[in-house]
Amino acid sequence: MSERRVSWALLGPGLLVVVLGAAWLLPELPALGLEASDDGAPAGMGATFDELGPDPLVLVGFDADIGTYAEVRPTVRTVMADLLARDARIAFVSLTVEGRAVALAEQARLERAEANANRLLDLGLIPGAEAGLVDLTKGIRPGENPTAQAFAREVAATGIAAFDAIVVVGGNDLGPRSWIEQVAPRIEPVPIVAITPSVLLPEVLPYVASGQLAALLGTPRDGAAYRATAEVGPLERLVEPGGPRPLPVLIGLLVALGVMGQALVVRLIGATRSLGDRDDA
Amino acid sequence: MSGLFGDGPAEVVGTWVAALVTLVVLGSMLGERRVFGWSQHLLAGLATGFLALVAIREVIAPRLVEPLAADPGGRPELWGGVALVAAAAAAPWLPRRITAVPTSVAIGALAAFALAGAVVGTLLPQLGAAIARPGGGLGATAVGVIGAVVTGLVLIGFVHGVPRGRILTSAAAVGRWLLIVGIGAWLGYLVLSRLILLLDRIGFLLGDWLGLVP
Repeated sequence: MSERRVSWALLGPGLLVVVLGAAWLLPELPALGLEASDDGAPAGMGATFDELGPDPLVLVGFDADIGTYAEVRPTVRTVMADLLARDARIAFVSLTVEGRAVALAEQARLERAEANANRLLDLGLIPGAEAGLVDLTKGIRPGENPTAQAFAREVAATGIAAFDAIVVVGGNDLGPRSWIEQVAPRIEPVPIVAITPSVLLPEVLPYVASGQLAALLGTPRDGAAYRATAEVGPLERLVEPGGPRPLPVLIGLLVALGVMGQALVVRLIGATRSLGDRDDA
Repeated sequence: MSGLFGDGPAEVVGTWVAALVTLVVLGSMLGERRVFGWSQHLLAGLATGFLALVAIREVIAPRLVEPLAADPGGRPELWGGVALVAAAAAAPWLPRRITAVPTSVAIGALAAFALAGAVVGTLLPQLGAAIARPGGGLGATAVGVIGAVVTGLVLIGFVHGVPRGRILTSAAAVGRWLLIVGIGAWLGYLVLSRLILLLDRIGFLLGDWLGLVP
């Protein structure tokens, strides 16, 4: 590799970070706003929550992936605030250790923001992957929850049937697909909704089309549109202000496309030259 | 911003540590790999420690030790679980016939649940939804047909080791190219997710750490 290319290979990523940082500091451009989603995903989530009865119980399967959680984090927080604003009681359960770590961090954040602790129940980590999900449908054993004892007793007595809806925060191995495959066939019908990063979109979109997922927020655009329409009232403090900024995302994507296109063009030029050399020979 | 840190002294220290480690990881792009290696060790150590803590506090203690201590004869299946765990833990010193048992049980159970769930929860409902589309117009039918054709071609692309005719060989080649196109599209989503992670870290440095963004 020539010295010039080595310099670019070292400086290029650093330059990209600087450019993205500068773009992050610029004021938001209305023309790049992501809120104008028209595919009905945010409305579907809102409609599903609207159909829940008074004082609903919601089970949150929290198995986010640290590598993709940044994409869905503002939306997840708004969904939690939205549910609490609807007087829902929320129980958190995780099936992966990584998901458990993120769930603990989010519950600590809710605690710091003084969310009503009587409405939050921590069901902890269920081991066993798919078998753990099946076990969840047979019975739930809440641990010690000093602040939500009535909620814990109700869940212990009724099991998963106590819940009016299931929200799956996906990203890790056991995401919406696992819940649909292992839980949905074993329980009475309850709406299952999902919040996933874009990378899971090809996997979960068919479940929306078949109706197995009642609603899905699976792209930054869906998330932004949902956050723009959710009415959380006095629980605004639970919501994360802002989200992924469109301008740096756009710049980053253009750079990614440029890098991929450059690689393709270099290969094409090389192939053309070798063909030309062969013709000359 | 991330909001994972509060305002107390411990959280301020946490923010500084997170910021410095983020800078170290970003610095690896500029060629500084030694400190980056230490940050990888730090991550691996923290992850292992957290895994051990969660396994002991949320699985082994409440689901195994406490029930056995409370009623040793009441849950005989738990003793079977203890035997399987012991066999797995002592694998380096036990005969292979014994150590293969816990592995076989784990893999067999996982495969059984995953396969049954895939058939009941995904394959049959998805087939049903693809065949019967309520209110679907010509466009939906066309999409369904295209989906079926693509699925068939990709499946043919996986056929190996059997004599093929010209048509089957061509279909397999098309199927493999369609698979590559699909993986490429998936890579695009992955790029988006990872880009947002990078931006989140930049936002963390500018906002949570330096306070440049409210």
